Amino acid sequence: MSEHPERSTTAAGPATTVPAVELNGITKRFPGVVANSDVTLKVARGTVHAIVGENGAGKSTLMKILYGMQRPDEGTIEVDGSPVTFHTPADAIKAGIGMVHQHFKLADNLTVLENVVLGSEPRRGWRLDIEGARRKIVGISDRYGLDVDPDPLVEDLGVGERQRVEILKVLYRGARTLILDEPTAVLVPQEVDELFDALQELKAEGLTVIFISHKLDEVLKVADEITVIRRGTTVRTVLPSEVTPRKLAELMVGSELPSPQTSESTVTDRAALEVKGLTVRDREGRPVVDDVTLTIHAGEVLGIAGVEGNGQAELVEAIMGIRPAEGSVVLEGRDLAGVPTRERRTAGVAFVPEDRIRQGLLLESPLWENRMLGHQTSPPNARGPLVNRRGARADTERIVRDYDVRTPSIDVTASALSGGNQQKLIVGREMSGNPRLLLAAHPTRGVDVGAQAAIWDHLRRARAEGLAVLLISADLDELIGLSDSLKVILRGRLVADADPSTVTPEDLGSAMTGAGSTTDGGPAAREGSES
Amino acid sequence: MRRVTKLAAVVATAALSLAACGSSSSGGGTTTESGSPAATTSSAAALKVGLAYDIGGRGDKSFNDAAAAGLDKAKAELGVEIKELSATQGETDADKEARLTLLAQAGYNPVIAVGFLYGTALKNVSAKFPNTQFGIIDSTVEGATNVTGLVFAENEGSFLVGAAAALKSKSGNVGYIGGCLIPLLQKFEAGFTAGAKAVKPDIKVQVKYLSNPPDCKGFNDPAAGTETANGMYDAGADIIFAAAGGSGTGVFQSAKAKKALAIGVDSDQFQTAAADLQPVIMTSMLKRVDVAVFDFIKSFKDGAPLTGVQVFDLKKDGVGYSTSGGQVDDIATKLDEYKAKIVSGEIKVPAEPAK
Amino acid sequence: MERFVPRFDPRRTGLAILAPLLALAVAAALSSVVLLVADHSPLVAFQEMWNYGRKPEQVVNILNKGSGYFLSALAVAIGFRMNLFNIGVDGQYRIAAMFAAVAGAAVTLPGPLHIIFIVAVAVVVGAVWAGVAGLLKVYRGVSEVISTIMLNFIGAAFVAWAVTPQVWATLENNVVRTPTIPESGWFPGFSWSGVPEGGTQTVVFGEIYGFIVISGLVGIAYWFVLSRTRFGFDLRATGSSEPAAVASGVDVKRMVLTSMLLSGAVAGLVGMPILLGAAHSFGSQDFPAGIGFTGIAIALLGRNNPVGIAFASVLWGFLDVSNQILDIQGIPKEIVTIMQGTVVLAVVIAYEMVRRISVASEQRRVLSSERTVPTDPAVDASSGGAK
Repeated sequence: MSEHPERSTTAAGPATTVPAVELNGITKRFPGVVANSDVTLKVARGTVHAIVGENGAGKSTLMKILYGMQRPDEGTIEVDGSPVTFHTPADAIKAGIGMVHQHFKLADNLTVLENVVLGSEPRRGWRLDIEGARRKIVGISDRYGLDVDPDPLVEDLGVGERQRVEILKVLYRGARTLILDEPTAVLVPQEVDELFDALQELKAEGLTVIFISHKLDEVLKVADEITVIRRGTTVRTVLPSEVTPRKLAELMVGSELPSPQTSESTVTDRAALEVKGLTVRDREGRPVVDDVTLTIHAGEVLGIAGVEGNGQAELVEAIMGIRPAEGSVVLEGRDLAGVPTRERRTAGVAFVPEDRIRQGLLLESPLWENRMLGHQTSPPNARGPLVNRRGARADTERIVRDYDVRTPSIDVTASALSGGNQQKLIVGREMSGNPRLLLAAHPTRGVDVGAQAAIWDHLRRARAEGLAVLLISADLDELIGLSDSLKVILRGRLVADADPSTVTPEDLGSAMTGAGSTTDGGPAAREGSES
Repeated sequence: MRRVTKLAAVVATAALSLAACGSSSSGGGTTTESGSPAATTSSAAALKVGLAYDIGGRGDKSFNDAAAAGLDKAKAELGVEIKELSATQGETDADKEARLTLLAQAGYNPVIAVGFLYGTALKNVSAKFPNTQFGIIDSTVEGATNVTGLVFAENEGSFLVGAAAALKSKSGNVGYIGGCLIPLLQKFEAGFTAGAKAVKPDIKVQVKYLSNPPDCKGFNDPAAGTETANGMYDAGADIIFAAAGGSGTGVFQSAKAKKALAIGVDSDQFQTAAADLQPVIMTSMLKRVDVAVFDFIKSFKDGAPLTGVQVFDLKKDGVGYSTSGGQVDDIATKLDEYKAKIVSGEIKVPAEPAK
Repeated sequence: MERFVPRFDPRRTGLAILAPLLALAVAAALSSVVLLVADHSPLVAFQEMWNYGRKPEQVVNILNKGSGYFLSALAVAIGFRMNLFNIGVDGQYRIAAMFAAVAGAAVTLPGPLHIIFIVAVAVVVGAVWAGVAGLLKVYRGVSEVISTIMLNFIGAAFVAWAVTPQVWATLENNVVRTPTIPESGWFPGFSWSGVPEGGTQTVVFGEIYGFIVISGLVGIAYWFVLSRTRFGFDLRATGSSEPAAVASGVDVKRMVLTSMLLSGAVAGLVGMPILLGAAHSFGSQDFPAGIGFTGIAIALLGRNNPVGIAFASVLWGFLDVSNQILDIQGIPKEIVTIMQGTVVLAVVIAYEMVRRISVASEQRRVLSSERTVPTDPAVDASSGGAK
């Protein structure tokens, strides 16, 4: 059912005929379901091989099999031409396969050196050989251009540095093949470039990288070969030069794709939300949102670009009434000062929180109860002071259908869903009941391509009907594609405006880090004329 | 949710284990000391005696132990078969009823309840088992012919130690410390005061109670005993009668520190006190719960069961004073005179303090 | 689409029952070991307990004890559902029962009104006493764990002061009690009589407190409010994730105060079965300290579920009365305390295990619908609802 065209080794890698890793006919069944079916994969030594697929397509299971965390029911794994059987990750490490997880597994209060040697402490006789370890770390760092200093505490490192420590840790254990699971999810564009440089070094030294991602432009930039996985099986292996991002995405979902571009402007001159001089302070009294003034019109999407942690979450929470703030928030002419969160919600403010696990879901409650969350006072969820179970359940079924939430039933608990499906449920819920203003933080984070398109569609439709959206996203393409106007937030202040029709992700990226600023007059002028 | 659950589990089990500590002494005593195989050694016709302790049970070095001593003596001398049950912390009248019911149902006759707390429960149970004779220490059940009230003339015994205190006092100032302000303890006070005044009409008697009902924690609060006694000694008293159960130790310690004397209660406390405290215990007012228990059981063995309200007074040697340590030997003749007068009825000892 | 009615899920129900059974088995096993070490036969012990516990007199006893335990556990459970730990049920119930007894004896009213008055006093006093802890938490950030423990001590001291002849009580036979409530304020009970085993004459086994019916109604109300009302939803939401509840518009401060008041109100009822059914006056004898702590254990065992709590209350009452029969058989009765302690610890562990198992199985089910593999048409069909 899937094609695996034999290819000559790409130019980038040294010419070896034996693949570094070869999987043949891998099948993995969980009770009642097949997670991987007849997966075949050939990774040439000295290359970066990307594996792309939607959420839930089976990428993680496949990698867990390759890293010894799970055992396949059928099929064979060969490393450097010889068949291997992994019972634990330790076996995989012995065979030279290392994994860099999406979420770093580093101890904050230990130094880089301590973190690297943790679990494989160097010994000389009975004593720890710290000096030997330091020499080895510095050696690896120099050789692969990782630029890792063994002495600082991990807590003092930035995200990109931590990731390089993780890579070094895997190399320290003698890995020849590295699995990187969604490595760019946590990085800003500049850090992504640094990572890719490092990967080129690794490749040049003859190491092999398996790169798991669903960010197609990155994959196309860094990979020598790309294997697409869909519904548990390998669909095709392609060269980056052969495909466009669109083509690749279509391979992933198996159909034609939408784009985030909004067709024509639906912005009206009716102000839905007016924020003036909004300031939020932390416990010590320092402003985390500093004198923010903005206006969103009905039918307008205002995007806020910024590196995470620059006050976006606090801004949204202040508008929701969750966080005390100075300044004024006016919703459709009504001053919301002193209005509690619940009343703001019934007045038509919808909220997709940044941290969906903490603020968006009741993990141990069933889906239909999660559908009520935040809307427990209004139909179809409530009838007077009582819960309308029937109404809530019916509407949950609707959301599950319309937003393609993949679940066997609306009675499973929210914790059982994958992150993407949780997000779809939240967005579906918040879009219910005709909101006037949507505060959306990362509305498509962790969501697969198909559902992302669906969410965009829903947003666009609601926008056309006059919904005002405050959009916060780390996905700059999404931000640029969806927004009618853009503002950049840095350390709690709105530092720049940008015109989404002209700005590039790179420009935006440098504005976000404070490296430069984009000052084209469009949206800024509009706002200026209003206040 | 889970934080609270863990915390709750800890609290719940801690509460349980505290309750277990509170009752463990009694349970241990029951199994190791009661000698439950007694039943096998006694003859088929042996008298079966059931006894229900108050909280604390056998091994409390006080009230319950006195009852246990009488029971042990009955077992040894009369060859009766015995069964002892003890109370649990925090139990209600329903639990006490169940306990007495079990004993009666199992054919124990007589059944003895130790302590006035069994009053209400016994009233109900005795009505259900008209053919069983019950005894209750320190209380009576009105209108129940099958309940024998085993009460004591504490006032008579207290009279004697009051007289002893007055005879020995150099300052003309003595003290009385009661564990809890209830009529039972006021009876001690009345007798003590009367005895002291009989010897020295102008003697000063200081009176203090350590606690109030319902909690009556003054029976087991040595610190409060010490504090109150210190105050009394400082106010001029040189002998204090400590009718306060476990708090008596505190009074003795105070007496030692203040180089004064004290009088014990219930049992001969000279025998059980620490060696360094013995010199301050001039005498003890004896309340012979053991005698009451033994006599009650013996009356069955003899075929003439005691019924109604049995007052264990001086005449029956149900109360008295102890002579261990020899501190009252020199006044023994005087005390025996008073005793004779009380027994003959010449002196009527009041049961309630003068208002 | 077609099933709006919550369906009975045998797997989930099975798992929910499995945990307490597992805990009971562990408790039985551990106490068996202790018994064997002490040279007693566990079989004999358990048989004696069982035979004694099902005698009609003891069934009455167990139900009467259980009705108080049940209310106590509900009071604790209201807090638990909200992630609040009301350790103060003990103090709340005693002070409420005391005030109710004093107030009930002070007035004369026609039957039902009199009872309603007494119960209302208890509810209000219990709520006020717990409300103090609620206010401290909301306005001063004092942990309710600390404040309710403190209020227990203050309440106990107050009760000790009030129940003296100098204040509100009378002294009779060396026992202090508040004045007796007139008969119009007695809650009629259910007298149970019959011919005992091996007997010939009909005897009265005992009287089940009439208030047990009210306890049951409170249990139903607990279930209804929590699972069927918006208020209950807000309460559970706050308990399961406070940030999510805040984001959904719940006023957490008001929620804390309200649930503390409710918990205290139910705690105020704990003493009512015995006060209205048997004691008719307050004395320390019938209102022992500790029922509030027993409630914590029972709420854990019953997993905050009213039916579970009902079973756990009966079990607890059963173990309590077993004390007696073990004592008379010469079997160490401490075994009961060991069982009670073990069962609480074991149930917490067992529930955590079962929770993990059920989450894992659910995730597998979700996985199966997320990933539809052509080789397994059955899976494809089952997830059809999603598309």
